[in-house]
Amino acid sequence: MIQAALIGNPNVGKTEIFNRLTGLSSKVGNFPGVTVEKKAGKLVHREKEIELVDLPGTYSLNANAIDELVARDYILQERPEIIVDIVDAANLERNLYLTLLLLDMDFSLVIALNRWDMAEARGIKINPEKLSELLGCPVVPTVAVSGQGLDDLKDSIAKAAGAAERERAKEKKGVMDYGTDLEPPIGKASDVIRQNPELVKRCPERWLAIRMLEGDEMIMEQTRAILSSPERAKILSIIQSGEAALR
Amino acid sequence: MIEGTEARCRKKKQLIELKPGEKGRIVAISASGYLRGRMMDMGLVAGSEVKVIRLAPAGDPVEVLLRGYSLALRRNEAMNIILEVDS
Repeated sequence: MIQAALIGNPNVGKTEIFNRLTGLSSKVGNFPGVTVEKKAGKLVHREKEIELVDLPGTYSLNANAIDELVARDYILQERPEIIVDIVDAANLERNLYLTLLLLDMDFSLVIALNRWDMAEARGIKINPEKLSELLGCPVVPTVAVSGQGLDDLKDSIAKAAGAAERERAKEKKGVMDYGTDLEPPIGKASDVIRQNPELVKRCPERWLAIRMLEGDEMIMEQTRAILSSPERAKILSIIQSGEAALR
Repeated sequence: MIEGTEARCRKKKQLIELKPGEKGRIVAISASGYLRGRMMDMGLVAGSEVKVIRLAPAGDPVEVLLRGYSLALRRNEAMNIILEVDS
């Protein structure tokens, strides 16, 4: 069985897509915050069984609010095979921030460019092939309310699941370059994290390094018991010199 | 134009000082902690252009256009957004 999770900004149509794909009828509403906890459903596509989880909308994985924590904790702890990132095509710029954070986390992504009709109506032109090439993952235009593109989306999920292992071995694309100020400390902190097998098992080292450099208190707290004190001291000093270099 | 004039014409203002139709570019977010993180997640970062669409009668909330979408901000949130405005 393929495990896939739906994630995206609030009010982009995640639950509508979830209902369409699973045949369930979770409550949808045209305002943010309708889904406050995760819901699961199943579908069968081309003889492949897919378990789908619908997560509350979130702008980031920075855990600024409880509803954002639900999504972050789920994907970190369960590590679903595929993350389906529902992006509002009519509001691409804000939505792609979450996409980049997911790429940092080393997930197999499938991107749905939802509300494709709305984007077209507003005169927004997006080249899905180019976006797919730049981000290194499949990009499927969809219109959840009419069901347009949803078969393509199911195909992409099933295909990505088979390719997941192979893709991971390939050279990674779409990983954000944070520039000459930030990449060296990210690299150094990643090196320290990589030495700790317990941490590597839990989450991608690069993502963890970035979170630590951002001063994510929850991450520092959760890793307190896992990091040895010399490792922790090393990371804190990397953070300090990284911050000093930016002043 | 005399050199330096352009720079001198730009003024720093809090977002709440702007009237509907006026716009500026974010130079700083003076909030901290949760609020700062949340605002940055939504794309309120240095360099973003923000235009005031309309204000509620008491000036709270204020609706702005940012990166092609509308965002409603409370007065205390808007106070923490410092813009560079052409005057």
